[in-house]
Amino acid sequence: MTTALLIVHALLAIALLGAITHQTVAVWWPVRKAAGSFVGRFRGVSTTSYSNAIVLLYVCTALLGSIIYPEYRLNVRVLLEQLEMPVANGIFELKEHFASVGLALLPVYWVMWHAPAAETRGPARAVLTAMLAFIVWWNFLVGHILNNIRGFGS
Amino acid sequence: MSTSGRWRAFTTVFAVIYPIVYYLSVWKNYALFTYIPALGRFGMGVLKSSNGPAMYWYGWIATSALAAAAGGAAAALLPERLSARLWPGWVWIIPLCVMLLFVYLLRNYFLQGR
Repeated sequence: MTTALLIVHALLAIALLGAITHQTVAVWWPVRKAAGSFVGRFRGVSTTSYSNAIVLLYVCTALLGSIIYPEYRLNVRVLLEQLEMPVANGIFELKEHFASVGLALLPVYWVMWHAPAAETRGPARAVLTAMLAFIVWWNFLVGHILNNIRGFGS
Repeated sequence: MSTSGRWRAFTTVFAVIYPIVYYLSVWKNYALFTYIPALGRFGMGVLKSSNGPAMYWYGWIATSALAAAAGGAAAALLPERLSARLWPGWVWIIPLCVMLLFVYLLRNYFLQGR
């Protein structure tokens, strides 16, 4: 059961990674004219349309992560301690704290992406999006690394 | 204040208070409840367990969410002339500082053996 949930957790994380990366690149490096290349089309997406999906995917990914977290705490963390891998445990600790901080940013992130353009003063919206992208990338890579250490199904 | 104005004030203050309270909760262990996975049991407050590890993460989130929701609700009740002064930059500066503080708080994981 845990393995199935872990796979769904990873698939949701991949979808989230794609959505938040699209939005971040598009908001920091927007296209000025009609895009013809792959990179141009990647940058040229409608950024606002991604925000609902990003909030939903983030919440679902975090929820699944919180369900499988006790299994990690009981079986994986102990193993990492026995293998004397403090860095692996440290990066996971950062993952859990960053994920929690990211959750708290979602309401204001959603409001900023749905507010009229005149109300989104300054670079707050773009920076907030980049921070969420950093959190998602960090959490994805750490989860991937730790899963590789433990080994699938072991 | 309009509904959108109240909602904006609530979410802005929520995003500022939550990371601060969350950091304090982790640092000082102010978990609202504890989960003991080996027993599958929850308990109020900070509990120690002789049956495997105790998990505080859920409790830290609950503590922080309650405090941030209270702060956000108070901000939503402010007159619009006051809530309009909330600088939106705080919603990324404070969380960013908290994330850096976590790196410092957890530094021993990365410095062991050096």
